[in-house]
Amino acid sequence: MIAHVRRKTIFAFLGPAVAALLLVGIAPLLYAVWKSLHDFNLTKQAQTKFVGLENYWTVLTDPTFWQAMGRTATLFLISVPIQLALGLLIAIVLHRPGLTLFKTLTRLSLVLPMATTYAVVGLLAQVMLNQKYGVVNQMLGWIGIDPINFIGDPTNAFIAVIIWDIWQWTPFVALVLLAGLSTVPPEIEEAAQLETKSQWLVFRFVQLPFLIPSLVAVLILRTADTLKLFDMPFTMTRGGPGSATEFIAVLIERVGNRQFDIGLASAQAIIMLAITIFLARLYIRFFYREVN
Amino acid sequence: MKLKMHVSALALAASTLALGAQANAWTLEEAAKPYAGTELEVLFLDRPGYNAAIQMLPEFEAATGIKVNYTVVPYENALGEQVRDFAAGGDLDIALIDLVWIGNFAENGWIVPSETFINNAELADPALAMDDFFPLVLNAFGSWNGVNYGLPFDNYSGLLFYNRCMLEAAGFDKPPATWQEVMDVYGPALTKDGKYAYALQSKRNETQSADSFARFLWPFGGSFLNAEFKSNLLSPESQAGLQFRQDLMKFMPEGIVAYDHAETVNAFAQGDVAMITEWSAFYSTVVNPETSAVADCVEIAPEPTGPAGRKPALGGFSLAVASQADEAEQAAGWLFIQWVTSAANAGRYLEMGGVPARKSAYADPALAEKFKFIPALVESWQDGVPEFRPRFAEWPAITEIVQEWGTKMMLGEVSIEEGSKMIGEKMEAVLAEAGYYDGKKPLAQ
Repeated sequence: MIAHVRRKTIFAFLGPAVAALLLVGIAPLLYAVWKSLHDFNLTKQAQTKFVGLENYWTVLTDPTFWQAMGRTATLFLISVPIQLALGLLIAIVLHRPGLTLFKTLTRLSLVLPMATTYAVVGLLAQVMLNQKYGVVNQMLGWIGIDPINFIGDPTNAFIAVIIWDIWQWTPFVALVLLAGLSTVPPEIEEAAQLETKSQWLVFRFVQLPFLIPSLVAVLILRTADTLKLFDMPFTMTRGGPGSATEFIAVLIERVGNRQFDIGLASAQAIIMLAITIFLARLYIRFFYREVN
Repeated sequence: MKLKMHVSALALAASTLALGAQANAWTLEEAAKPYAGTELEVLFLDRPGYNAAIQMLPEFEAATGIKVNYTVVPYENALGEQVRDFAAGGDLDIALIDLVWIGNFAENGWIVPSETFINNAELADPALAMDDFFPLVLNAFGSWNGVNYGLPFDNYSGLLFYNRCMLEAAGFDKPPATWQEVMDVYGPALTKDGKYAYALQSKRNETQSADSFARFLWPFGGSFLNAEFKSNLLSPESQAGLQFRQDLMKFMPEGIVAYDHAETVNAFAQGDVAMITEWSAFYSTVVNPETSAVADCVEIAPEPTGPAGRKPALGGFSLAVASQADEAEQAAGWLFIQWVTSAANAGRYLEMGGVPARKSAYADPALAEKFKFIPALVESWQDGVPEFRPRFAEWPAITEIVQEWGTKMMLGEVSIEEGSKMIGEKMEAVLAEAGYYDGKKPLAQ
């Protein structure tokens, strides 16, 4: 029997959350949409005027925007599959029975990279990867490798950002997938293991179906995170050298906070939001399956 | 006749006494009385000049009852923080103005002309002596279109820091006088055994525009803009300067495009680089044995000259009263600015690590002995270019273009000519939109 819940109670519980969402999420979004339709520069407020979709046209025809998008997509296509593969491997190892203390310590240590502030991660990288004084090159020197110019070379800087992103977010993927694995009913898993010695078959036909919701969640979150990746590359390379690590969020920050062109930056951000929503819908449409 | 002379002499004496009495009558304490309890908000940077001012603050607060609340921000955030505050009518009462922000702040009406306070006998210190500031510095850092807004506070000039010990070991008894000498003589002799002759901070931020790109335009006769405000980057002089920078990279550490001030000063302080061209403000870092392994070898000279002369890098900050402050805050703000930049405090400010722009502060030969950068600094401030970087409101947009394409040039991703063309086209688009080409704005930089 379903107990009747009064309307007032529902509003009392949901109201604050909805109000907070409207205040901190929807209102700024609508403000950004409104600003994106204006020629609005903080240092030229007297010349503000309504320009309709002109900012969107400027963004969509700007090669700098698409180059930044291309770099962001490359970063995503390289780092997220590696994070998924490594995360899955770690999750499966931690899901196996035995070595309880070791696994508890591992789970705790996995939280550390995620808990480190993005900007601090970038600053750490800048110091650790310094060609002359960085600890990474010092350690490479111990095994006879010449110092590598990580930050000053465009290709190396891009690779360094990928490695740092993988270091920081693989643990997140591992923990989410570990949580997904814990939803597999133990009796089904045990029955499968009695049926076959192949770990692959157990994974493919028993564990993977239960992991699909977690994988979709990870994909959506990591896509959004990658698209808005800013703090780490900004403090590490500031988008350089040249434009080698100018990802889309770094570009938007540059236009909005350094050129003060809030109208154009808002249009860029709205387009980025649309792309994120489109990709999220795509993942759900093609990958997401309810577990029966 | 005799009587007349007596009367005249008496009148002169009386007027002198009256003026003297008026001058004596003005004290900071008296002037500040109506504003006791006023709180001022200002942004500071984490640099020696600001640390010196912070050490001096308690004295000002005790004398006036005015509280100065400062927030320390990184340089890269200082413009954005202030623009947002002024655009939103925020709390800042004093503007901290890098010389390239002065046009922006003045054109937006965010700062108050100094004349407002200088003409107010209750606020103006009779010992203010505006002509005691180096004219170039007062003009470049605090003035826009002939109107003064700010008093020079944290003042820099580009200087050549060189490691005497490394130069002597290579057979040199003096620093290079010209850039050509750096290229032809000092560079090859000092670049060996993992050490480099020279490091030029070139990271993709204001460092690339100010410290790297512009540094090799002006001494070679180049400039950002010509008289019609069109790009001058494709002129033979500008191209020669930028090509020279590119060629000089063979004497710089690998990955120089990732070097900011910290990396450059550190490379010099660790003895890995023989020469750097850096701001005078870094003097205290490289002569401090706690932060420098070559403290005893550090010597300072003016920047080398190019075919067009010295034209050293020019940078620094003035303090101005913010228009958004109320009347009491504006008056209190002026009293603080006037006090912290005063001739009376200049010596102490210098001793504490700051670099004042007061001519009188550098007159004492004993100080020049103690602070080796003083002769070079004073010489540099005779021969600088106020528009070393254009100071108009469009600079924030243009510097981003220079930073992007300037580093691409250095990396060899585009040729000098292609990069210059690209910067020129984008720069002219920004200036066209701002209205410089259709007469809406005066051609002031």
